[in-house]
Amino acid sequence: MGAAAIGFQRALRHLGVTGEVFAGEVAAGFESLVHPASRLRVERDDLVLYHHGIASSLVAKLLHLPCRKGLVFHNITPARFYAGTRLEGALRSGRAQVQALAGQVEVAIGVSRYNARELEAAGHRDVKVVPLLVEPERFTEGQADPVLRARLVKLGAPRVVSVSRVVPHKRVEDLLSLHQELRRLAPRAQLLVVGGYDAGHASFKALARRAKDLGGVTFLGRVSHGELVAAYRSADLFVSMSEHEGLGVPLLEAFASDLPVLAFGAAAVAETMDGRGLVFDEKHFAALAEVASQVVSDGGLRARLVEGQRERLGDFSLAAVAAALENALPRAPARPTRRRSAKPRVAFVVQRFGDFIVGGAEAHARQVALKLAPHANVEIFTTCATDHLSWKNELPDGSSRDGPLTVHRFKATRFRNIRGFNRLSSATFHRPQDLVSEARWVADQGPVVPALLERLVAERERFDAVAFFTALYQPTVYGVPLLADRALVVPTAHDEPPMVFHLYADAFAPAQALLCNTPEEESFIRSRFPSAAPSRIVGVGVEPLEGDVERFRETTGVTGPYLLYVGRLEAGKGVAELLDFHQRLVKHFHDAPVLVLAGTGELKPRGHRVVALGRIDEQLKWDALVGALAVVVPSRYESLSLLTLEAFAAGTPVIGNTRGDVVRGQLERSGGGVGYDDEYSFVAAVREVGEKRGELSRRAKRFSGRHQWKSVIDAWLDAIEKAGREVRR
Amino acid sequence: MRLFGKDVTAKKLLDVVKERLSSRGLLPPSEDAGLDPGVEAPVDAFAFAVEAMAENVDATKGLPIETHRDGLSGQAVVLAKQAFRKVGQLFINEALARQVVFNGHVLDGYSQLSAEVVRLRGRIAELERALEAAEHARATLVNAKQPVLTVSQEAEAPPKRRAKAPRKPRL
Repeated sequence: MGAAAIGFQRALRHLGVTGEVFAGEVAAGFESLVHPASRLRVERDDLVLYHHGIASSLVAKLLHLPCRKGLVFHNITPARFYAGTRLEGALRSGRAQVQALAGQVEVAIGVSRYNARELEAAGHRDVKVVPLLVEPERFTEGQADPVLRARLVKLGAPRVVSVSRVVPHKRVEDLLSLHQELRRLAPRAQLLVVGGYDAGHASFKALARRAKDLGGVTFLGRVSHGELVAAYRSADLFVSMSEHEGLGVPLLEAFASDLPVLAFGAAAVAETMDGRGLVFDEKHFAALAEVASQVVSDGGLRARLVEGQRERLGDFSLAAVAAALENALPRAPARPTRRRSAKPRVAFVVQRFGDFIVGGAEAHARQVALKLAPHANVEIFTTCATDHLSWKNELPDGSSRDGPLTVHRFKATRFRNIRGFNRLSSATFHRPQDLVSEARWVADQGPVVPALLERLVAERERFDAVAFFTALYQPTVYGVPLLADRALVVPTAHDEPPMVFHLYADAFAPAQALLCNTPEEESFIRSRFPSAAPSRIVGVGVEPLEGDVERFRETTGVTGPYLLYVGRLEAGKGVAELLDFHQRLVKHFHDAPVLVLAGTGELKPRGHRVVALGRIDEQLKWDALVGALAVVVPSRYESLSLLTLEAFAAGTPVIGNTRGDVVRGQLERSGGGVGYDDEYSFVAAVREVGEKRGELSRRAKRFSGRHQWKSVIDAWLDAIEKAGREVRR
Repeated sequence: MRLFGKDVTAKKLLDVVKERLSSRGLLPPSEDAGLDPGVEAPVDAFAFAVEAMAENVDATKGLPIETHRDGLSGQAVVLAKQAFRKVGQLFINEALARQVVFNGHVLDGYSQLSAEVVRLRGRIAELERALEAAEHARATLVNAKQPVLTVSQEAEAPPKRRAKAPRKPRL
């Protein structure tokens, strides 16, 4: 049910509806994504959708909430399967609660027609059906854990898989009976049972004993998402013997894994499959083994089944779930439309904001906002944070002015523990994840500012366009679907681990336009998210200040040739590696240039011939830029290196990390710098810059001439005008 | 047994299966099985609550002793739980005596309230039906009492002016 609630929340965002998920019990580590039900506070017009699956004390709370209420019914296992156990009472109690809610809720939803019928039988009226979300792209071959897949394939064939907890109504004993019959036809047949079990339970021990006698049975227990896909993808057939399913998500996951399905048609199983796969109505195991054998061996039959199954999945897509939810929920009153003003109105959503913020995307947002201000009414929606690692509320919330801009600040409701977050990232990256795990990471990434999005949604008609800066952060992932009809995204995206999450499609696909910084960024987004909205390369302009190197030397005491880095001092920006390479340079060459670092961050740079200046003002930055031997851009994860453009504008060559596509592209297109990708090429780059600085400098200057604010602002105004036209349409 | 599937000829597939079973000397599946997509019967909320509360009103009575273990360890767990209850029952009774009294009052109060709610719901339904019938009757009566206005095309048309008789010529 947790996954269903997260899926509904996502679908609701695509309908422009904001909402949070609350639960009776929240597992450790999910606090950013799900809130404890005890913290639920409602207003009269709010709608609480309660997901019901077993007896819960939340029903008592729901009945007395002073707001509108809805019920989403996931069905309850019939108590007869658990007669005589303590669970029996809880199951009957859950069903009694379904009846108690009839007449108390204004929305009644079954996740299948079968569940809807049960709600009607319990006295609910005008019951609607909203399917659960199943995303086929999460079950492709590439999502399968290769190690487990290889291990399972080696076991023998044919392989039958079933996915369910080992509990009475799932009838694992029937799977064993089928397996026994199948082994008579195919002695190397394998049965893979995926799902949690209680190893010490007498009933499981009995199953395990029988499985051992039969041979070829593997209980895989609870598995990760990649392992689950490996189990589906390594199998030849999926079998369900379950005696009760309110929907049957594993059947659909098997459909998505191109795996033929053979299922006992209990409860909602036949409805879920809708004539796809094969459904049977009698557990004649010898006959079923023959059917299984035929499906496995007849390629044509298998292909027809798989093809039909794939078609069925369209009914469980995000669009289908959102459409069904739209039909099920009461219509919101139409918002009054704003009269057009002479100047377009634009909201900028950015994670931090201010002239005191060190950060490329944040500086980019502020520069664009200030340059746009004479042509448009620009309002900034941001957080109270200055530190992007913790998102702590260090600035007052509320509205203020920053020159021509109105800035609205909202408090983050949750702060980030960067160590815990890094641990989560290590556990999440580089392996396939399900929707809940991705949503958890995005929520932990933050900043969690629900009030910001609620306000924007409430005031959406005031704006012709809403521009979201940085795809990586939660407000963009949540906000773009919410305000899709007027959303512009400045993705500042590059090839970093979370960008494989399918959830990030929400930051790219529903928008009106993506305003990219470089051709490399644009092609990266297109290759990773083919459904992304139309994009254009806009970038930024650069307006250099007059620099004076002598002033810089006097202020800082730096003498001799120096390499300059300006930006956040973080390992993720490649600064630790740069320090390491520089120290090796110093060790081997007595005339190695000084490394000057300007900026703040988690790293405290130390070393021979290293000067850390901390944060410097704009004038001192340009004084430093003009006099540097070269500017170093050590980050491989950039969507646009503003530092590179500024260095070029100052006529200073760049030594850039070419392991990142964007910096490599900028260097290649300009000819104004030299790349490096390891310690040796770094040394060579420093030497080359020393020898050819004049020539590199001329090319850099020429390239920087192409980055003028006028063309950037024209592109912005055009994008805003188009978004506004879409809104009016 | 029947097979269902849009993408295959289920009967043909089943015929192949039966033929193979027959060649193996096995009995074919029955012909008369069928799916039962009927939903579970609803559970009456008030009746269930009263029954469940009544079953559990005596807090000094333990729930049925259960163990998920089998074999000797399972027996040992059951014996240990039984022994604990036997030895401790006197203290359990003493400690939970007031809870038992309280539960009895709660059960009484809940039963009375729920019975009243059921009675009131029934009465509301009855009154709603009566109101509906009365409204229907009123509407019929109003229709019956009102005079019928028969409007014909002729009646609607303004009376024709009598054509002037041609003036007789004067002498």
